[in-house]
Amino acid sequence: MPGESLEIRDLVVGYGSDAPVLNGLSVNVQPGEIVALLGASGCGKTTLLRALAGFARVRSGQILVSGRDTIDLAPDKRNMAMVFQSYALWPHMTAAQNIAYGLKIRGIRQAEVNRRVEAVLAMVKLEGLGGRPVDNLSGGQRQRVALGRALAVDPQILLLDEPMSNLDARVRFEVRHEIKALQKKLRITTILVTHDREEAMTLADRILILEGGQVVQAGTPEEVYDQPNSPFVASFMGADNVMPVELRPEEGAIRVLGTDCIEETVLPLGDFAGDRPANPAEDGGGSFIVHFRSDAATIGNGDAPPQDTLTLRGRVTQCSYPGGTYRHAIDVGGQRLIVDDPQHYAVGDVVGIRLPKASLYFFPVNAS
Amino acid sequence: MTGAMDKNRYLPLFLVTPALLVVVGLFMYPLGYSAISSFQDKSGAWTFANFEKAFDLYSLDIGFTVLIVVLSTVAIGVLACATGGYLTLGENPRAVAVLKWLYRWPLFIPFIVAGQLMRTFLAKNGMLNNILVSIGLLEPLQATSLLDWRGIVITFVWKQTPFVALLVAGAMASLDRSTIEAARNLGAGRVRILIQIIIPQVRQTLLVGLILSFVTMMSVLSVPLMINAETPTMMTVDMAFRINSYGDYGVANALGFISYLMAGSVAWFYLSQGVRKGERP
Repeated sequence: MPGESLEIRDLVVGYGSDAPVLNGLSVNVQPGEIVALLGASGCGKTTLLRALAGFARVRSGQILVSGRDTIDLAPDKRNMAMVFQSYALWPHMTAAQNIAYGLKIRGIRQAEVNRRVEAVLAMVKLEGLGGRPVDNLSGGQRQRVALGRALAVDPQILLLDEPMSNLDARVRFEVRHEIKALQKKLRITTILVTHDREEAMTLADRILILEGGQVVQAGTPEEVYDQPNSPFVASFMGADNVMPVELRPEEGAIRVLGTDCIEETVLPLGDFAGDRPANPAEDGGGSFIVHFRSDAATIGNGDAPPQDTLTLRGRVTQCSYPGGTYRHAIDVGGQRLIVDDPQHYAVGDVVGIRLPKASLYFFPVNAS
Repeated sequence: MTGAMDKNRYLPLFLVTPALLVVVGLFMYPLGYSAISSFQDKSGAWTFANFEKAFDLYSLDIGFTVLIVVLSTVAIGVLACATGGYLTLGENPRAVAVLKWLYRWPLFIPFIVAGQLMRTFLAKNGMLNNILVSIGLLEPLQATSLLDWRGIVITFVWKQTPFVALLVAGAMASLDRSTIEAARNLGAGRVRILIQIIIPQVRQTLLVGLILSFVTMMSVLSVPLMINAETPTMMTVDMAFRINSYGDYGVANALGFISYLMAGSVAWFYLSQGVRKGERP
């Protein structure tokens, strides 16, 4: 069964008389699509999910499910099943009773309830565990019960509120792929709330980045990862090394002005990581910040840098081995930058950080 | 060094002694004495005569007491759950605030004052009948006094519901709110959520509140004395009567021992429930 479309128009949601948490937010979700709301704590992503489910009071705006406004419906009439961050399983019931609950409310006869519960248990890979009290299940199993309980009622929209934040890394990886496979199989329109970038990237067809109750960027995982449109999105998508630079436009190129810790470099226009500066002349040069990912840079020590590379100079202040490469914290003119490199550099070493042109995201200072 | 250690060993015992003496002297000794003397005659010889006499004279009152206390306990349980449920699930913040403010008042009123209050409220020409007559729900000739078993039940329920509601509402408030929202999200109405989701999760607290109320009501003398001192009446009235009128401590102690067995049986029921589920009682 194809899912329902979801359209959120000019939604204003707030608590009490405080300033609204969501202020005029609009989102369109296509039938069967899985959309991730990604943002830092307090950005309004869980509030949006609670407003959709009917638990947060909406001040104005519309929530249309396949064109029908659900704003005045009570939470129990919306047919949007939610998977809670804490799982919210009922501890006095078994796994099967948790899953059966929504079906019983719908007046489905017992034999059919049993059949569907068995099917759901098989779907979420919990065969044979239906009779267990939920307190006797592991975190991953509880998460599956919560998912099964939501899916059992055949909801129009599935709402996932940080469903994997309480799982350890290995189980999270496994469950993530299972959720993705299930969602693709069932084609349920799904909204996922998370602050985990990798989770959003892996699961979602589309990612909405929220900041201060507003969508600051929306796009496919590739678009928001490769072309962040603001310093906030760049940092959130992993390009969280930040260095202030002075740019001067030149014919067909930009000049990065040299300082104590930046080697003066001329970089031809085009092929930068983000869409800035397409032409820094349009921005009139001046003060910029450059964002880059720790794995996009390398460390060189004395040898000549390759072409079209920006080089920063700094001193190693910390080195660790997270696996695969060494992670170095490097002090560059008072800025602390993190750079991964296969070679180990000792604390106190003076090194050059090589930043290929294609790894650089430039933003004018006033954009931050 | 060893001497200092010996001193330290006795220090806790020394500290606990005053409390222990109070418990032993003012609770254990009188309880044990009255339990033992209920099996003795005036000469100190062992006998069941006190119990035979107690059952001969007061078996109707024993049954009446059980009935009143059980009925009151059930009513208290229902009302406490309804109160706690509304405080937890109510969607009108003003009504919730008013209920939260009002429901605790009877907690601060002693039983004897509650009994006096109910005498004026439930009498034939009392406030309740006057209100019912004035709003046309009752003809003046139909008005009857409720100062009988119904009066005792109403007083007990009025006095004890806030206590159980306080415990239950506290337990409900500390539940993971998302377990309630999850049920709502799947289509459950509020009454269904209260019965199927909330009450099972606060069951232990509810049981503790009801058992404490049961035991309290078993021991109240003032309410049955003031509201219904005729036959049948509650065992506490009989005990007072045996002592005040006849100086008959033997039968009074036997009745006390029977009360103790009743209270003990509900405590045993509660403990056995906890043990069976492998929980902390």
